[in-house]
Amino acid sequence: MGEETTSLGGIQISPDAVATIAYHATLESYGVVGLAPKNLTDGIVASITREPSRGVSVSYKGDDIDIDIHIIIEYGTRINSVAQSVANTVRFHVEKALGLQVNSVNVHVAGLRISNSD
Amino acid sequence: MAVDPARIDKFRRLPIDGQSLKRLIDAGLTWLRTNKDMVNALNVFPVPDGDTGTNMTLTLQAAWNEIKDSGTSHLGEMAALVSKGALMGARGNSGVITSQILRGFSRGCHDKATLDVATIAKAFGEARDTAYKGVVRPVEGTILTVIKEVAIATEAALGSVKDPIEMLEVAVRAADEAVKKTPDLLPVLKQAGVVDSGGKGLFFILEGMLRHVYGESLETPTTMVHSLSAMDLQGALDEVEEGQDYEIVVDFVPTNELNLASFYARLEEMGTSIQVGEGEGMYRMHIHVPLEKRYEPIDYIMEIGTVTKVAIENLLAQMDDIQKSKQLQFTPVEPGSIAVVVVSPGQGLSRIFASLGVAAIVAGGQSMNPSTQDILNSFENLPTDKVIILPNNKNIVLAANQAKEVTVKHVAVVPTRTVPQGLAAMLSLAPEGELQAVADKMAKAMAHVKTGEITIATRTVEIDGVSVKDGQVIALLDGKLVVSAESVEQGVMELLEKANAGEHELITFFYGEEMPHGEANRIADVVREKYKSHEIEVQEGGQPHYQFIISIE
Repeated sequence: MGEETTSLGGIQISPDAVATIAYHATLESYGVVGLAPKNLTDGIVASITREPSRGVSVSYKGDDIDIDIHIIIEYGTRINSVAQSVANTVRFHVEKALGLQVNSVNVHVAGLRISNSD
Repeated sequence: MAVDPARIDKFRRLPIDGQSLKRLIDAGLTWLRTNKDMVNALNVFPVPDGDTGTNMTLTLQAAWNEIKDSGTSHLGEMAALVSKGALMGARGNSGVITSQILRGFSRGCHDKATLDVATIAKAFGEARDTAYKGVVRPVEGTILTVIKEVAIATEAALGSVKDPIEMLEVAVRAADEAVKKTPDLLPVLKQAGVVDSGGKGLFFILEGMLRHVYGESLETPTTMVHSLSAMDLQGALDEVEEGQDYEIVVDFVPTNELNLASFYARLEEMGTSIQVGEGEGMYRMHIHVPLEKRYEPIDYIMEIGTVTKVAIENLLAQMDDIQKSKQLQFTPVEPGSIAVVVVSPGQGLSRIFASLGVAAIVAGGQSMNPSTQDILNSFENLPTDKVIILPNNKNIVLAANQAKEVTVKHVAVVPTRTVPQGLAAMLSLAPEGELQAVADKMAKAMAHVKTGEITIATRTVEIDGVSVKDGQVIALLDGKLVVSAESVEQGVMELLEKANAGEHELITFFYGEEMPHGEANRIADVVREKYKSHEIEVQEGGQPHYQFIISIE
């Protein structure tokens, strides 16, 4: 997918474009303090990334768009709720921008950031 | 609203300890729950979870569950429990932010046994900082902005307020103002015409606490009463449905304090679109009711207060007016002047005729000829006795002449047989002068225009030496069949040949309801290509059956 056929020809949307939308949506999600490169799940806190393609991976399988996001969450928030919100927000923004259905958004909580300990 | 001074005084004198905080949280939760639906209704895009009010209520409910059995009187300990409960129960984006606000608040007062003015300001400051830390890119115009404004306002008020209750008043006021400003910060809210839902939820929590102090009800949603200026009675008119025949607006001063819940309950038995506004003790009630119940709201309100003003409007008639005014603007008729009535086969043509100054339009044309009565009705009520009728179709000329016979008004029929003739006649209208002289001048003008019509043959036939098969495109010139063709484009080109279009200057295409706008323009471009020195215009005609009506002048 990421491909649409019109009478004039085809439209292709690269996975990078989708990743950029997902990246920005994630950063506006409450509770997320950063993204983590997916292949560096160790020592992530040091390698929080601002590169859209890092931390977000997008794959097309036939008609399905699958998005994987690796995030760092603020310590002291309810992780489950934050991850759920991220999944909803990313799906919402990608579908709104592309007009295409997203098959799955997988949120991987790669770590927590502790900015205050109570 | 009834504020009990003795009660407030009592609150002022008592320190706010753990148990007081518990009651305040309960009040905030109750008030939020009461207004939950209203908060949900505000939800628009920025946070795509559709139930902010529900999520915040559940989050605060979890906090309440954590503290409801706690007997601690230590403020900091109680706040810590609130924070813990909210964290565990946080639901949705707005719930998580709420839990962070409570967590920050709790941190700001963790070592205090009671809540003093300085601690409140510090705790709100911590609440803001904690809330903002939880997100990389804070979106302004949301609940975050509201807690920020509250923190700023309480800190600024430090020197001037005397007690925690006054500080709470400052916080509620700041939250209220911040919520009202959210549409200026977040364009999507402005577009939707709402304030931020999460921010409003936070406002309700704080306001609920203050209402508890004041001893005001926490069970009846305030949102049912608008301020008088905020009542949108014009907008209510757009939603008129069956059974809403009359709009009743009653201004009144209730004898006793108005019990909104029972007031609404009674009104709901009578009708719909209920709105109640309040300003300085005066209430305004708005309702849509069916015909037979049109006096009931008035009778009812007279029982509970003094009615100062009543307005009753017939909605059906009003809707009619709105419909008409949306459609066409006719030239108003001066008494004694000449009014022109035309028959028009399509919306687009009607608009053109209206812009040329006709006084009334009768819908009709090929295969939908209006009756004599239809034509009569169009002008019988006009405030003049001088009328000119343009039938614009050869089959309607007769009905127009009959209308002339049966009316007492002075009528002249200009026998336009086509729409272009009618338009040409209309363009030459100079309504000063004798009726017959004006009509004669119009009849002369119509002779200068040639009319082409493009349509599809409905049967196989040979007329005037042109043989036509069913389904072919045919072209008529001044009502006479001149061309049969395989396409509309071909029909148009051959028709223009037959009409000696080369000797004319202006060709106007009125495309019909079956002809797409783009295709009409395309064909016009082909014509432009061939008739380079001509002026070619394309207008929406909206007529049925005819792909094009073409005026050649």
